[in-house]
Amino acid sequence: MATTADATAKFFDDLSRRGHEPLLERVTASFRFDLVDGGKTDRWLVAVNKGDLAVSRQNRKADCVLHADRKLFDRLAGGEQNAMAAVLRGEAVLDGDATRLVLFQRLFPGPAASRKVGRAAREPGGRHE
Amino acid sequence: MSEDLVKILDGHTFVVSDSNGDIEASPTDSTGLFSFDTRFLSKWVLTLNGERLSPLSVDDLQYFETRFFLVQGTGTVYVDAKLSVIRRRSVGAGFHEELTILNHDEKPVELEVRVVAGSDFADLFEVKDALKKKGKYSARIGKGDLLLEYERETFRRGTLISATAPAKIDGDGLTFTASIEPHGIWRTDLQVSTELPGWGGGKAAQGRARKNMQHRLERWLDEAPELQCDSEPLRDTYRRSLVDLAALRFSPPVAGGHSLPAAGLPWFMTMFGRDSIFTSLQALPFTAELAATTLRALGEWQGTRLDDFRDEDPGRISHEMRYGEMTAFEERPHSPYYGAADATPLYVVLLDEYERWTGDRKLVRELEHEARAALNWIDEYADLQGNGYLSYERRNEKTGLENQCWKDSWDSISYRDGRLPGFPRATCELQGYAYDAKVRGARLAREIWKDPAFAQELEKQAADLKRRFNRDFWVAEDEYFALALDAEGNQVDALSSNNGHLLWSGIVEKSKARAVVRHLMGPRLFSGWGVRTLAEGAGRYNPIGYHVGTVWPFDNSFIAWGLRRYGYKEEAARIAAGILDAAECFDGRLPEAFGGYERTLTKYPVQYPTACSPQAWSTGAPLLLLRTMLGLEPHGEHLVVDPALPTSIGHLELLDIPGRWGRIDAFGRGRIDVERKRRTAARP
Repeated sequence: MATTADATAKFFDDLSRRGHEPLLERVTASFRFDLVDGGKTDRWLVAVNKGDLAVSRQNRKADCVLHADRKLFDRLAGGEQNAMAAVLRGEAVLDGDATRLVLFQRLFPGPAASRKVGRAAREPGGRHE
Repeated sequence: MSEDLVKILDGHTFVVSDSNGDIEASPTDSTGLFSFDTRFLSKWVLTLNGERLSPLSVDDLQYFETRFFLVQGTGTVYVDAKLSVIRRRSVGAGFHEELTILNHDEKPVELEVRVVAGSDFADLFEVKDALKKKGKYSARIGKGDLLLEYERETFRRGTLISATAPAKIDGDGLTFTASIEPHGIWRTDLQVSTELPGWGGGKAAQGRARKNMQHRLERWLDEAPELQCDSEPLRDTYRRSLVDLAALRFSPPVAGGHSLPAAGLPWFMTMFGRDSIFTSLQALPFTAELAATTLRALGEWQGTRLDDFRDEDPGRISHEMRYGEMTAFEERPHSPYYGAADATPLYVVLLDEYERWTGDRKLVRELEHEARAALNWIDEYADLQGNGYLSYERRNEKTGLENQCWKDSWDSISYRDGRLPGFPRATCELQGYAYDAKVRGARLAREIWKDPAFAQELEKQAADLKRRFNRDFWVAEDEYFALALDAEGNQVDALSSNNGHLLWSGIVEKSKARAVVRHLMGPRLFSGWGVRTLAEGAGRYNPIGYHVGTVWPFDNSFIAWGLRRYGYKEEAARIAAGILDAAECFDGRLPEAFGGYERTLTKYPVQYPTACSPQAWSTGAPLLLLRTMLGLEPHGEHLVVDPALPTSIGHLELLDIPGRWGRIDAFGRGRIDVERKRRTAARP
């Protein structure tokens, strides 16, 4: 498990390596993440084409832009915080279509400490670890 | 809620005031202007020369609009009726109020008109549970407007109040000086806007213009099938249902402007997995739009990870979505919360039923991933005991739900002697829904996803589940299905209305159906109005206990559907007649639940004290009962009509029923004497 500090970089690296995400097969849209880190803004652009992912650091117009502190995004990417709650709190600010964020937030992991349930709980070697 | 309160609503926003239009909320009552689970106004009081006004009459113009006629003086005698005051208020992007003062005198008059405004910005959860606020309040006086604000860290909510007439504005309200000529008129328009900054969904969802609302309602009513019948109360109930369903529609931020049913006023004006699915099923013969939006929105929010706080699992359909402060700060898990065990199989049931009515294969293909994930959840994540049954046990032990079935109050699941079982609990209707989801999922897999191997696998699982269920849940000595299996796999053996849902889902073996029907229509369960949630004689039976003896119209509509499924037309008609008679007593608007007292004892159905009204699945109950009475059933490209109506209904026509066949009319005549049946049943 990545340390909190580089959870953001790891998250986008993972997306980039994955290349395709079945959870986003219905999605064709671009997402930009403007993450404020001290005085500078780090940007990631994720272009989704029917589940195919292209991750870059371009500063381009996107269908949906999420503005947040880099520290908050580290926690979202590490499963320590929930994206919808952060938006409701005003800690992450959304520009553009909220529908799209609902789809994108599927990619954030759950808390690492969450318990296994069902079949996975009975079979330690099961599919969902 | 008290009956003399005036409520207007539009989807996620509603206003509850007293009968002179004023709002003076206490911390625990649900009066005020609410939007997205936050109270934006808790005080809104009109005075003339420092005096409160008295109501002459209230006109409920539409569900989103009302008009208050007021005069000066607060006593019962109107000493000075030389002035009339009219407040015309409509909901939409906060609310709008036209304030008109008429001077009936021959002399001019000068008045100080004051509107006091304030907000506690309470989260609906805080109102329900009487909790304290953690943030700071402020008021900003602008040029011609007043902004009330609440702030807690990055969380901010605001209420902006403005007027068209010149006003003196202070932190507590607006003061006008009205000089009115003899027989003259003074007017101002007040606008109250809700602000949820930094959230794209808020503004979009508020964008429904007031002037479009009348048009939208008319279109909604025009597009619904036309009901013609001898029974005037039934016509009234039908219209009331359509209008209330229109009022309860809302566009969640994910639905692209389309609407789905919120659960009910005042506590549940939000997306509920279970309630939205049941209501969409009830409404399918009348409008398919609610089902399509429900399927899409719940699909978008389907669980994708394990999260104990939210009771979320991959593939699980959400239970409840909230937008208020406590959810924002994760003091409540509703962002969204997933603690329902029935919504996931019911999601697949709705998808199949939707396609059978509409022929919309495109949506079924679009949602293939979600439907497969839902089916996968049943076996991978919901079989908590490894015994092949769907069960539930919350992982969020602080704010999660103990009972994750529709009977979700703490004492709803009990043995016949009243003891409560431990967890996990595998309630019987969940197995029925899982069975139905597998059977229907198999049809979708074979016919639309073109995956015959998956279809075959699902059918095999369904047949196996049905066989085991009829063995393990059957209370042999009394011939009904147990309410649940407990953690040890023993029967939780109370007799309950859940038996009717089992008929609906088709899991009951033919040979056992007659005995089940005998119980449903027998004196322990059937009150004369409908089937009680829990049978008389059970340890926890209480005729006014929320899920332990009351009669739920929604429950009964699905029981009637189940009775029809097994060929018990007359019994279905008796339930329809009872519930529709009750609707007449409630002026066409069925409450969430009413007392389980024997019908001959009370003559009128006794309303459950804190029931929500209107409530979506109660509003949908008469619609589903019309379907069951007419015996409407899609069959390929056709609609089969097989009426079985109570004589009290007389002649009935439902015209222009929409579906894959275009539009079709259905006719029926009442031939079933339910009165005679009731007299026979009442005899020992």
